[in-house]
Order: sequence, then structure tokens, then C-alpha cells
Amino acid sequence: MTAPLAQAAGVVRRGLVLGGIGLLALGGVYVLALGHTPVEARQGLAQKIFYLHVPAAWAALVSFSLVGIASALYLWLKDPRLDRFAAASAEVGVVFSAVMLTTGPIWAKPIWGTWWTWDARLTLTLFVFFLFIGYLGLRAAVHDPAERARFSAVVGILGMLLVPFIHLSVYLFRTLHPQPIVLKPSAPSLPPEMLTTLLISTLVFTLLYLGFVTTRYGLALVDEAREEARDAT
Amino acid sequence: MPPETPQNGEYLVAAYVIATAILLGYWGALLRRARRLLKEKD
Repeated sequence: MTAPLAQAAGVVRRGLVLGGIGLLALGGVYVLALGHTPVEARQGLAQKIFYLHVPAAWAALVSFSLVGIASALYLWLKDPRLDRFAAASAEVGVVFSAVMLTTGPIWAKPIWGTWWTWDARLTLTLFVFFLFIGYLGLRAAVHDPAERARFSAVVGILGMLLVPFIHLSVYLFRTLHPQPIVLKPSAPSLPPEMLTTLLISTLVFTLLYLGFVTTRYGLALVDEAREEARDAT
Repeated sequence: MPPETPQNGEYLVAAYVIATAILLGYWGALLRRARRLLKEKD
């Protein structure tokens, strides 16, 4: 095994371990949320979906924001590490979006009486999800690395620009979606036990993000090292 | 739980199962891809 390849394999292993620890910690979040956090009287047990849905939304929107920042920096600095990171973060963001977009309707059915409504928050979120699936499709379709990085950076920046609109959509438009209860100018409006569980779950999702992105970044490094070794022979 | 609290635990179970399947599935896919790629290198 060559030195760059061994280095890339190390990154992959570190990422997998971090992701594995994150998944074990997620089991701890389930115990905390289901066994030690009070049941909300008006919504019942379905309210506990919130401890997955909100951290997944957090992780997805952080992922997409970082794609945009890395993409903008790539266009400026032309550093391939930034493009590699953006690709990894986009893929992981799509995974967290899938969690957000499945847990949301499952909560909405018993609370709103419908799985889905085409209001601003939900529609924008779905749009960004499809936009980043398109981003990954674009990356798969363009084979020249420099062109692929340049084209996808533009899409990544456009995707990032939608993130603030998703967060602010509940203020800008009439929407069924609840308003923020933590990330808002005033103090969080949540009982302390619920807030603690939510914050721990958010930390665990952040750990999962780091583990997944590190693994995905390492796998891209392995691919590149293999191609370089093939070109050298 | 007060008696007037809605009984909707099945939605909770569905959401937790699906979220776990997505996250565990993605980690498993990364693990499989890593094993395959790293085996090719050795």
C-alpha cells in the first residue's frame, strides 16, 4: 500500500469509528427521549419525534451551508480538498434531509391531520433536498475533475443561499410549521428536561455528521490515490 | 400521562425505526464501500 493510500485508509477508519460512536450515542438519545423525558400533554408520544426531526434538520442545514462555503472557497482558492469536502458534506446532508423529510410527515399526520402540506417551509426544504440530489447527479455525470468541481461549486453555493430562507420561512410566510423554539432571538421556550434531550440529540447528530463526512472524504481520497497510482503505471 | 393526552405511540415508533434504518443503512453502506476499496488496494 502506498503512503497516500495508507493515509486515506486511516481517514476512512477514523470516520467509521466516529460514525459508529455516533450511532451508539444515538441509542443513548433514544433511551433518554423515550424513558426519561416527559410526555407533552397536548401532542402525546408523537411529540418525541421532535428529538430526531429537529437535530436532523440542524445537521442537514449545517451540511448544506458548509457545502456552499467550501464551494465558494474552492472557486477562489482552487484547492481540491475543498471540493472533496463539499461533495462529502452534500451527500451526508441528503441523508440527514431524508431523516428530516420522513420524520416530519410522520409527526404531522397525528398533529396536523395530514402527512404533508405545501407551505413555504416544507416546500423549500423539499426543493433543497432535490437540488442537492441534482448536485450529486451532476458530480456523477461530469468526469473531468476541474469541470466537475467548478460546476458543482456553483450549484452548491445556490443551495446554500436557500438555507436562510428555510429558517426564516416561518416568519416570512403564513405556515403551519411551528416557529423556532431554540434558535430565536428570545430564550428557548421549552421545559429544561426537553431542552436537555434536544441539545444532547443535536450534539449526537453533529457527531454523526463529522463521522459520516470524514468517512466519505476518506473514500474520495482512496479513489483519487487509486487513480493516481493507475496513471503512474 | 393525563387521560386526555392523545394515544399516538405508533407514529413515534415508525419515525424512530425509519430514522434508525436510514442512518444505520448509510453507515453500513460506507463500511461496505470502505471494505471493498481497501481490499482492492492490498
